[in-house]
Formats: sequence, C-alpha cells, structure tokens
Amino acid sequence: MKMKKFAAALMGLSMAVSLTACGGSASSSSESSSETSKAETTQGSSTAATGDTLTVAIWDTNQEPGLTKIINEFTQKTGIKAQIQVTPWDQYWTMLEAGASGGSLPDVFWMHSNEINKYAKYEMLLDLTDRIKSSDKVEMDKFPEDIVNIYNYNGKQYAVPKDIDTIALWYNKKMFDEAGLKYPDESWTWDDFKNACAKLTKPDGSQYGYALSPSNNQDGWYNMVYAMGGEIISEDKKASGFDKEGTIKAIEFIGDIAKKYMPKYETLTDTGATVLFESGKVAMITQGSWMLAELCNNDYVKANADVAVLPKDATTGRRVSIYNGLGWAAAANTKNPDAAWQLIEYLGSKEAQQKQSDLGIVISAYEGTTENWVKAYPSFNLKAYLDMMKDLQIRPYSKSTVVWENMLSEKLVKVWTGESDAKTVCADITKEMNALLAEEE
Amino acid sequence: MKRRERTKFNLKDFLWGWLFLLPTVAGLLILNIIPIFQTIYQSFFKTGAFGKGNIFVGLQNYKKLFSDASIWQALFNTFKYAIIEVPFSIAIALVFAVLLNKKIRGRTVYRTIYFLPMVAAPAAIAMVWRWLYNSKFGLLNHLLNSIGLESVNWVADPSIAFISIAAVGIWSVVGYNMVLFLAGLQEIPHDYYEAAEIDGANAFRQFFAITLPCLSPTMFFVTVTRVIGALQVFDVIYMMMDKVNPAIYKTQSLVYLFYKYSFVEYNKGYGSAIVVLLLAVIMAITAVQVYLQKKWSDA
Repeated sequence: MKMKKFAAALMGLSMAVSLTACGGSASSSSESSSETSKAETTQGSSTAATGDTLTVAIWDTNQEPGLTKIINEFTQKTGIKAQIQVTPWDQYWTMLEAGASGGSLPDVFWMHSNEINKYAKYEMLLDLTDRIKSSDKVEMDKFPEDIVNIYNYNGKQYAVPKDIDTIALWYNKKMFDEAGLKYPDESWTWDDFKNACAKLTKPDGSQYGYALSPSNNQDGWYNMVYAMGGEIISEDKKASGFDKEGTIKAIEFIGDIAKKYMPKYETLTDTGATVLFESGKVAMITQGSWMLAELCNNDYVKANADVAVLPKDATTGRRVSIYNGLGWAAAANTKNPDAAWQLIEYLGSKEAQQKQSDLGIVISAYEGTTENWVKAYPSFNLKAYLDMMKDLQIRPYSKSTVVWENMLSEKLVKVWTGESDAKTVCADITKEMNALLAEEE
Repeated sequence: MKRRERTKFNLKDFLWGWLFLLPTVAGLLILNIIPIFQTIYQSFFKTGAFGKGNIFVGLQNYKKLFSDASIWQALFNTFKYAIIEVPFSIAIALVFAVLLNKKIRGRTVYRTIYFLPMVAAPAAIAMVWRWLYNSKFGLLNHLLNSIGLESVNWVADPSIAFISIAAVGIWSVVGYNMVLFLAGLQEIPHDYYEAAEIDGANAFRQFFAITLPCLSPTMFFVTVTRVIGALQVFDVIYMMMDKVNPAIYKTQSLVYLFYKYSFVEYNKGYGSAIVVLLLAVIMAITAVQVYLQKKWSDA
C-alpha cells in the first residue's frame, strides 16, 4: 500500500520534473528567440528568415545598431539579406560550439584569439585564403600583422580582421579637483598613478582610487605586466611568463593597490568596476575602447569624467596597451559560401571599415580609417585610445587560452584579496601553466 | 478454446499497455538512458572539440579526478548545500502544510503564494536574489545598515556564501514540498484526530503521534527526491556567482565543475568523469535511503 502510493507519487514527480524541464528549455529558447526577434526588428528589412538570409552572430549589443546600419547598406548594394543575432559573451562560445558540433553554425560570425585554434583545427571555418587573394576589396597588408596572424592557421586564412581595441585610463575630474590633483597626462608613470590612488581614496570607504575588473585581464593588469617588463606567455607560446621579474613586480604592484586603494574584492565581484565608476564610487578605471558606447552615453560619466592615456613605467619607459582584434569568419558548411564571403569581403573593405570607425562602433583594423572614430563622442578625449597604439602588445594567447586564463584568474584572486603574496601565487601559476601548455598539441 | 481466448485477451492487453507506456519509455530511453551510457563511455576519452578527434585514454580522467583537490572540495560543498537545503526545506514546508491544512481564511491564496517560486524561472529568481544580496547596493545590506549593523558580503564571503545560496534553494523549493505534504495530509482520515481528541491528546501530541507517522510515505518520497535535487544543484550557483568570486572554491558544486569543464573549457571527457562520480554518489545515497525506508516500514 505504502509502496504503491510511493510509486504513484514518484510517477507524478517524474512527470512534474519532465514538465518543468520542458518549461525551462522553452523559456530559455524563447529568451534567445526574443533576442533574435529584437535583432530582426532593428534590422529594418524584417522579412522572415528564409534560406538565403545570412545569419550573423555577434556578442556585443553595443555594436548591434551600428553594424546593422553597415549590413543594411550591404543588402542595398548586393540584394543579399543578412540578420544579426546577439548572444552575450558568456553564452556565445557555448552556442557556437553546440552549433559547430551539430552542423548548424551561423553563416558569418565573430572570431576571437581565444578560440580560433580549435575551430580552424577541426575545419569548422570557411577557408578564405584563395578568395582573399582574388579579391580587389580586401587587402590583408592594410591590417595589423598580429591580428592577421591570429586568424591564420597553417598558412590558411580563416577570418578577416574586423577591429582593434586599445586600453585607456578613465578618470573622474570632480574627484581629482577635490583632491587638488592634476589630471593624468602623458607624463604620468604608474608610480604617479599609485600616489594619486592614495590621495583619491577616502578612509570612510565612500570613495576609492581605482577599481579593477577581476574577470577582465585585458583591460586591467595585463597592461601593467607588459609595461613593467614582464610577460604572460613567452613569444613562442610554450612557457609561462609568471616567473619573470617584471610580471611578479606588476602583480605585487596591483596587489598592493588592491589592498589599499580599491573597493573590497568582494564588492568588485558582485558590482563590477564600470558600474562603480559610473556611480561615483571610484576615481579611476582602465577600460577598453569597446566600452565607449556604454561609458560615453552614461549621464554621470558625461558630466564628470574624461579619458587619458595609460601611465608609463618609470624604469622601462614603456607605455603599453594590450590590444586584440576580432575577425569575421564564416562557417565551412554554410549553404551560401559565396554570399557569406561577399558579406565578409564588404565588412573588410576600406569603405565598411571607414564606416565602422565613423559611426564610433569600434576602432577599425584597416590602416588609415581611424581618425574619424574620435569624433563620435566629441566631449571626450578619445584621442587617448589612438595614442595608445604607439606601443601595442597583442593579447596573450595560445592554443588553449581559455584553460590557462581561467586557471590564473582563479589563482590570482588570492593576491587581490591579500590572502597570499604575489611571489607564491606566481610560482604556483608558472608551474601549472607550464603543465597546461605542455599538454597542448 | 477458453484458454486461447484468454491468451488473445492478454496479448491485446499487453500491446495496449506497452502502447501507453511507449511515449514515456521512448523519452526516457532517448533523453536519459542512452546519454547515461554515452557519458560513461565518453569519460574514458580525451575529447577533441566538436565531438571529433577523441582519444581513448583509459582511466586517466578518473586518475586525475581522484587526485584533484577541487573535486573533493566540490563534493564537500555539494553535501554542505544538501545538508542545509534538504532538512530546512522539508521542515518549513511541513509546518506550512500543517497550518494551511487547517480551515483558515484565504488559505488558497497562501498556498498559491508559497507555490509561486516554483513557477518562476530559476534564472529570474537567481537574478533577483543576486541584487538582494549585492554588497553595495543590495536591499539586505541596506536594511542591515539602517538598523546600524555592518554590511555582509552575502555571496562573496567563503564562510557564508553557501548558506546564502542554500537559502535561495530553500526559498524556491518550499512551496513544492508543501504541496506534496498537503496531498499527504489530506489522505489521513479525520477519525484519528477525533479519537485522539477524545483521549485528550493536545495538538503537539496529535502531530507527532498521528500526522508524522501517517505522512511517512510522502516524507520518504520528498526526502529522496529533494536529496537528489540538492546534490544536482547548479543553476543558483551559476547565476549568482562570478567565476572570479573569492568564495567560489568553497561553494561550487560538482555539477558546476562539470559545466565548467565540459562547456567552458571543452574538456568533455573530464566533465563526464565528474558526472559519473556524481551519479555514483547519488545512487549510493538513494540506495541507503531505500534500504532504511524498507526497514522502517517493515518494523
């Protein structure tokens, strides 16, 4: 009797579970479909997706309106329809991986240095080498060599560079005035930066000097590592750079700032540096050029903040910005390889690259198309981002970037929270990172 | 003649029976059982991307698993979570169920309210709680500050993060448990309580001598399913904690690690090994529970 009841209840439950499971997946898929439908409506030409409409996958909502404009012009020129779908960074790669495994990749999509190796190795991407050669619109020598090389695998070119990004220093003018400090300029060294942090930090915890996004290394501590003469990974991508003196020095430097002049690490993980800057809790942040749409349209930032170049290091004299660039890639099994290529060709042409800069979407990768980018938000000193291009360091990557990057951001938490010292953690990272790099084939 | 008729009848019965079972069985087979074996199979491989280029490595993933401290920490975290979530969600649900089983005004409204968290999408729930817990702008810390207490780092302090997470788990599952208990309560004949009242038993005595024993099948069912559910906790942790959260090491569950290895770092072989470990743990615990229940009901 009891057992029977139990069995009945169990059946009831399994039904309920399968129901909720269905509900869950349904809601998640409707979420993504609402996103696509949003993209569709902003698209203007909102005809239903047919077989000959290209799907274009990107991860940055900030760039969606601008890119939609460029793609619409492409449609007017060629009659080929294309539709942008935005998937946030955190889910983008899961989505793409599932698409690749299931044979349903979007036709055209963004590639990143973290992931290109895998996609190229298993031939998921359309080989563009010959098409580029016979094209009169795309000239690969107009793009920075580093970026071109990222998307080159065994001599085959799998993506056309889209943009480049640099890092600059955002500061709160009001807080600088209050503290009686001069605004940051070309003469600033990282030591000046640290001294300013000290003066801008209030003992009651209402205001801090600096904030670092713990999950984003490219716009934060990577820059200091290279400026101070260190490196993340060796040139040949076979060894960790965490045993280098400069790297340890930089980690110590930031660890010290984190301890004294930054909001508590716990606050940073649940609020984020940009939000803290936008709400007037921190005086300075370092942020990438891809964040302009967010920062330049924020009312508080508009009223109180400006941009300057990153400080340089007093010893090495280097003012380094990490840079990276996305690439436009196409799926190997796309139904319309020619249409997909035409779109990529257009996006890589001088005309579209010029537009991308002019609209202030991002700094275009094409040589000589960037001057107008600074005019997109005239009230800010955006020239700082272009000035940072004098000493660029490509964002460190190898074949399994994600794996060691996750490992080192997890380990470095101990330095940022002050639980452990930089030397110990760096030694630990060196060991583990070298083991991970040795596993790469 | 008669005999033949009976077999014919049985065959027909049999076919109809299977026909009705077919949708469920097919679903189970395709969505659950086959993937279980595929996962076990995959756990012996070093997987390449996109399901291509798998290399057989024997027990290497399991060797790594047994020497990986973070796995054991995650297993411990999972237990910590279950040990808070299961008893509290059951106790609270039971109290609510008993109270809402009484004829009080507006009880359907209360029942609905308590059940609502179960209807809302877990991701949405986690986002709301994330803001409640936010250390700088969150409502909870705002309330604490307004009565003169210090702010608490709800989800970033390793010693309390798992409690904060479990609290969300309890909150979202109490209503569901409550409905199950309500169903169980309504099956208890009213005569028992009348007899007890005549014998002079007070409400507490009635609860412990009648309600609890009569509710034991439901109780067993709820416990078993809740333990399994709690050991598979993932969504709340994934939605509420950043991967660079200082408390993540002391909070991440086995399923969280499975997700990280399988879908973030694309090491599906190792991810499969983790999930096989979880399967073994859950099977062992459930077997013990079933054994205890048998003993208890036989006694």
